[in-house]
Amino acid sequence: MNFPEDLKYSKEHTWLRISDNIGTIGITEFAQSELGEIFYADLPNDGYSFEQDKVFGSVEAIKTVSDLFMPVSGKVIETNKKLL
Amino acid sequence: MKIALFSDIHANLPALQAFFKDVDSRNTDAIYCLGDLVGYNIWANEVVNEIKNRKIPTIAGNYDFGIGRMSNECGCAYKTDHEKDNGKISISFTNSIMNDEERKYLRTLPAHIKVEFQLHEDKLNLLLVHGSPRKINEYLFEDREEKSMLRIMEQADADIMCFGHTHKPYHRIINSGVDGQNHFRHAINIGSVGKPKDSNPQGGYVMLTINDNSSILDKDSIQVEFIRFNYDIETAAKAVEESPLPNEFADMLRNGA
Repeated sequence: MNFPEDLKYSKEHTWLRISDNIGTIGITEFAQSELGEIFYADLPNDGYSFEQDKVFGSVEAIKTVSDLFMPVSGKVIETNKKLL
Repeated sequence: MKIALFSDIHANLPALQAFFKDVDSRNTDAIYCLGDLVGYNIWANEVVNEIKNRKIPTIAGNYDFGIGRMSNECGCAYKTDHEKDNGKISISFTNSIMNDEERKYLRTLPAHIKVEFQLHEDKLNLLLVHGSPRKINEYLFEDREEKSMLRIMEQADADIMCFGHTHKPYHRIINSGVDGQNHFRHAINIGSVGKPKDSNPQGGYVMLTINDNSSILDKDSIQVEFIRFNYDIETAAKAVEESPLPNEFADMLRNGA
């Protein structure tokens, strides 16, 4: 498994990369391997704000739907449209 | 119109024969099979031939898809290493007993069947899938979030969506209407004929009744009956124990696990 040095990890299997006060959030390789193939990502609209540890979306995999938790508080400025 | 829907026989011939006996006694108008004919027991070819000979419209389950292509992957999403090991024994055993003609039948089964009823001025879409419309081996358990279930049904334009794969039967009605207008959608897991996992070892299937007045506007206008029937579980369990298959599969049949 690859652990890039500029990523910080949460207990809820998300990673965070901060650059110029903008954070990029993803799910960890471990979470992906546990979930298996992901069929759908339910992501928030741009402009929504979320507190730390709150659910901001979910991913649907072969056997389960898994909530996504905010590793920090913040406002959504963009989501990865390729996932939708 | 009384429509019998069954699936997940998993090479359990005594269960399939008991199902036919039960369904034949109920004045059924149509029968559909939602897949997973093979795997986990010894009568893979016999089960295929029973269904083929009766000319029952059948869709492929994930196990049929794998065995049809001589694959060593059945798409079963086992959790533990032990389950994975047992799963490997089952798929390699099933591949070893499958005849060419029966394998070809599995390979050519369709993925979905859509039946559109025309009642009054409305249409009513019945969609038959094995796991979900988007994936043959997706597990739609009863606790699936309503939003997710609804999105899957809306994307597939399904008013009534019937599926198997989890071996745990349920019926959920979700109202997807907007602006005060009702649009009731039915998500129906039809259970399993030959390998139930809901702690009831009896075989199970669904009888769906569509009437003149069936409509998306009235949630009670579509009847769903979950039927359970007895079969010779010991014969099926002993067949497992006398085969190269793991003995645990026999106890799972005895316990409905």
